[in-house]
Amino acid sequence: MRIEDHPILGKAEWGRKITLIVDGEPIEAFEGEPIAAALIAAGHRVFHYTTKRNEPRGVFCALGRCTDCVMTVDGQINVRTCVTPARDGMVVKTQIGLGQWEDLQVCGEKEE
Amino acid sequence: MKDDELICRCEEITQAEIKEAIKFGLKTMTEVKRFTRAGMGLCQGMTCGRLVMGILARETNQPLSEVKPCTSRPPVRPVPVSVLANRVTDDDQN
Amino acid sequence: MGRTEIAVVGAGPAGLAAAIEAARAGAQVTLIDENERPGGQLFKQIHKFFGSEAHRAGTRGVQIGRDLLKEAQDAGVEIRLNTVVYGLFAHHCLGLVCGDHTEDLQAEIIILATGASENALAFPGWTLPGVMGAGAAQTLINIHRALPGYRVLMVGAGNVGLIVAYQLLQAGAEVVAVVESLPCIGGYGVHASKVRRAGVPILTAHTIVRAEGENGVERAVIAQVDENCQPISGTEQNLDVDTICLAVGLSPLAELAWMAGCQFTYIPTLGGWVPVHDQDMQTSLTGIYVTGDLTGIEEASTAMEEGRLAGLAAAETLGYLAPEEGERKKAQVRELLATLRIGSFGEGRAVAKGQIVKARCEA
Repeated sequence: MRIEDHPILGKAEWGRKITLIVDGEPIEAFEGEPIAAALIAAGHRVFHYTTKRNEPRGVFCALGRCTDCVMTVDGQINVRTCVTPARDGMVVKTQIGLGQWEDLQVCGEKEE
Repeated sequence: MKDDELICRCEEITQAEIKEAIKFGLKTMTEVKRFTRAGMGLCQGMTCGRLVMGILARETNQPLSEVKPCTSRPPVRPVPVSVLANRVTDDDQN
Repeated sequence: MGRTEIAVVGAGPAGLAAAIEAARAGAQVTLIDENERPGGQLFKQIHKFFGSEAHRAGTRGVQIGRDLLKEAQDAGVEIRLNTVVYGLFAHHCLGLVCGDHTEDLQAEIIILATGASENALAFPGWTLPGVMGAGAAQTLINIHRALPGYRVLMVGAGNVGLIVAYQLLQAGAEVVAVVESLPCIGGYGVHASKVRRAGVPILTAHTIVRAEGENGVERAVIAQVDENCQPISGTEQNLDVDTICLAVGLSPLAELAWMAGCQFTYIPTLGGWVPVHDQDMQTSLTGIYVTGDLTGIEEASTAMEEGRLAGLAAAETLGYLAPEEGERKKAQVRELLATLRIGSFGEGRAVAKGQIVKARCEA
């Protein structure tokens, strides 16, 4: 849920409305806000499943330190969604364990 | 808190595994970390550090003032290897 | 490698205050922060600070953050954001991560103002989505305007727990209860009253036993505890909640100080291991100063004053303040600090801070 009107902070001033593709579904976001914020506002709580026990994890510290909010974003694994700004058209996937590198890059050069 | 509950969230290490390491004879945070991997995950002990110190203090009958954290080494935050390999110095700028 | 006279690590209230004082005295100051905006915890604090006018009473933390940032910019401080100090090496060399590369920064004096992080509380079900730090909930609601849940259990009735419980109410959530394992409330009466008046029960001598749910928190089980903080069987209660916030204290983020080889002492009331420092905020290592929550968990107001003290001391060491002027200004700040450490809450901190300085002198 979005906090549109707040007794202290007043009316929200949102940036440009954009769309994230989260596990194939479109989710509304505002440009520049952390990916995690858009997901939480949309009621999306499970961000990844752990390697050993396959257990669900979500936002824990919201500061980029605990790494429980990591997801695979635009093919890159272990992206800390609580400190990564949302951009239009980002492809966000619930990560299973260590995820799958989709575009393996070695020192900036694509593998042939 | 039952022994099969998780203490290190990143590496999914249980209280039982930590107690086992201490029973094995490991007495410092650095030793427990190396043996169990608690504190070696993505958050580098940010979440579990204090919890492990508490378990260590209790299991070895020491006050917390005797349990120092793991040796602190760089980098203090996870950094991609490609970034560490890309060190810009004055020479590069000339 | 880059060079600067004074490198301040961490742009929260302590770091900003230190940078402003040193820069105003004429020193070249570089202020570094890993986040994309400075201010540390200030931008989450939407409540009004109290104290004297000198301590910006009546002003919300958010506004203080904006004010300090402007003062730093006006004083000519070089502010480097999105920059992680990944290591503190020999000869006061800092390793910086700047986006896609690393750089070295050589400083004559280093002021560490790296703040603190929230403690964790482990209990069955603590890894379920919906369990988060109270500070995390605060970040989500006050900065990102996203409500993490609708029905919240707050664990911990210190200032953070009480303030965030109230802010969750302001954000539109229902706070089902606040539990505190100690027999008494740790936070200020004024915060507790606001929460109670809003109809939220504060249950002292209670703790969370477990969190339950399939893919996220659906229920919390709480129970009364005995004098050893152990749950008393038969007192368990189920609470219908979707969010559990942990407000169980903070610990200094001291990795850089440990890495440098600073001497530490253990003081539970200040958050555990803290680096020892003298009356000028200098550690056991010449040229390395510490300030703010890193030296012991207190408040934003003490952080700002300690920051000023470190900034003044550093500027004086480099010759930008004559000894008499330096001593006079530092004495003024120390007096202000003393006024912040009075009363039933402040006295304990004053004693603890005295222990730090004593430990430094004995080093």
